[in-house]
Amino acid sequence: MDTFLRAFIEGLLLGGVYALIVLGVVVVAKATQIINLAYGGMLMFLTYFLWWLLVPMGLPLAAGLILMFIAAALMGLAVDRFMMRRLIGRPEAGLVTFLGTLILGFSVIHGFAILFFKGKPEVLPKIFPEGTISIGSLTFPYTWLYACIIGVLMFIVFVLYFRLTKSGLAMRCVSEDHMVSQSLGISVKRIFAYAWIVGALSAAIAGLLWGSMFAVESNMGGLAMMRALPVLLLAGLTSLPGAFVGAVLVGLAESLAGTYIDPHVTGFREVLPYIMMVVILIILPNGLFGTKAIRRI
Amino acid sequence: MLPGGIFNTKYEADAAIFRTRLQWIVLGLLLVLVFTLPVWTSNYWLAWFTRLAITIIAVLGLHVLTGLCGQISIGHAAFVGVGAYAVAILTVKSGLNGWVCLPISAIAAGVVGLFFGLPCFRLKGFYLAISTLAASYIIVWCFEYFESVTGGFSGLPLEPLTLGGIDFSGRGSFYVLAVIILVAATFFAKNIQRTAAGRAFVAIRDNELAAEVSGIAIFRYKMLAFFIDCLFAGVAGWLWAYSQLRVNPDQFSLMDSMWYLGMIIVGGWGSTSGVFFGAFFLKLLEILLSDYINPWLTDILPSSWTQQIHVAMSLIVFGLVIIGFMIFQPRGIYYLWERFKINYRFHPYSFFST
Repeated sequence: MDTFLRAFIEGLLLGGVYALIVLGVVVVAKATQIINLAYGGMLMFLTYFLWWLLVPMGLPLAAGLILMFIAAALMGLAVDRFMMRRLIGRPEAGLVTFLGTLILGFSVIHGFAILFFKGKPEVLPKIFPEGTISIGSLTFPYTWLYACIIGVLMFIVFVLYFRLTKSGLAMRCVSEDHMVSQSLGISVKRIFAYAWIVGALSAAIAGLLWGSMFAVESNMGGLAMMRALPVLLLAGLTSLPGAFVGAVLVGLAESLAGTYIDPHVTGFREVLPYIMMVVILIILPNGLFGTKAIRRI
Repeated sequence: MLPGGIFNTKYEADAAIFRTRLQWIVLGLLLVLVFTLPVWTSNYWLAWFTRLAITIIAVLGLHVLTGLCGQISIGHAAFVGVGAYAVAILTVKSGLNGWVCLPISAIAAGVVGLFFGLPCFRLKGFYLAISTLAASYIIVWCFEYFESVTGGFSGLPLEPLTLGGIDFSGRGSFYVLAVIILVAATFFAKNIQRTAAGRAFVAIRDNELAAEVSGIAIFRYKMLAFFIDCLFAGVAGWLWAYSQLRVNPDQFSLMDSMWYLGMIIVGGWGSTSGVFFGAFFLKLLEILLSDYINPWLTDILPSSWTQQIHVAMSLIVFGLVIIGFMIFQPRGIYYLWERFKINYRFHPYSFFST
């Protein structure tokens, strides 16, 4: 029972972090209908950047965070302005943007991160309070709890943003139809730029959390992305509540599999997200919360 | 576009791939050149040409799936790996003859591919791409963790291939074998486009809905395209295993799958010559990087950077080149070549063509 409870709570906490990771992808997908596979790469690069600012450069935490967020915003803008804006609107744009972000994240950004930061595993200085929290007989590091709380908070902020603000409404409008939004006076270009900036900022925050829970290494981007994809598929790509439920489900599944199956099949935990992707695609192609697309003939 | 003064007067002429005498002569010279390469080139370049031939075989498969049918596979290297591991396991563990394994590896890759192709019967778009992305990780994981069969991280060594008295462990003889298979694969891939199935693939690529309404069984043809893709991958894997005489998991990473796709993008979607252009271009870039640019960078950059330059530069340069082609020349090198040919044929009146 203890092991089960431990695995369960660990899964919930992991789920909070995954939700935050997925959030950035969902925001971009909602506004621009692009699945941003470069998200993992951006997350990894920004976390390395933060590590570089804090450890070799020795900046204080606040300055490091501000510089990291500025870098994130610039990165998002650059990707939108120099790459995505040229790719969207073509007849085969869906596949091209998919491939473009894949190659951008896994190859170009990855390469730059290895070039600048050597790609060795590094440890971020402590950002959250040290120590462990105990629930009954179980103990968890504080970091995990904080990560989960920040994930949930960010999630609520995003939901409120989409529901209550004018630009959130504009973003939802753009995701429905670019041309109609344009003719209603919404600047589609600006909305795209906002979406990419918000996406990159959430990559920065997710990287901060992920980096303080695990080591900062060059393949953390790929790992984060591969956790995000099954969540996205479960969520149906554009649903925010779906993303949250999906993230918790994936976190739970991963942690339970790690506890119960790993002793029998070594390394099963690592491969579970991919198996989930294939199974979800075969069984539930629209996800739990996605809308079934109706095609007009 | 036919060259000036050439007219199709028979049905055979209309269906021919090579129409003029000049084309036949060029083809003959090219074949002679390719097959006599071991005589007049160094071992270094011979190894490069062998790798190039294997890569082209793999990319020809991807061409059928991506170029013709419009689906994307991001797990192509993993399927090549299935082929390579199939021959390694069968020859090492159960002592089968290497030649018998050639069809077996092809079929093995095809069957594994079919499983991961299942999601494509649901929705269009990137679903097959995501499924194959997962496949690339799952398959490599299987290579790494089923240690008793696959040898784990260190992989499996193979015995060199022999046929009668010929030993294929030599560079020259293996190169000739690879090129023979390459010619066969090219012939096969080129002719798939001209069959009913090939035309169905193109119809699905161009407009899925229209294809469906015209009575093309979309799911069946997508699966067929994916199966053919994996057959090529399996054959390429078989060759790869014998060219390295060792298989191990990191030869078949996600990166390699991305380079295969990159070759299609750089070469140009939907033509076999595009595959050759793309593979040749990226492989040449690879050797340019490792032999000229990286040593030069090592000289001018501070010495603390030297360790990572090699890995990082290939990732950055390949990625940027592929993205650059996507943005600035989405129809690839093949389109440039076609335009050049048309301009040449219409020479004084080149301005008529676009």
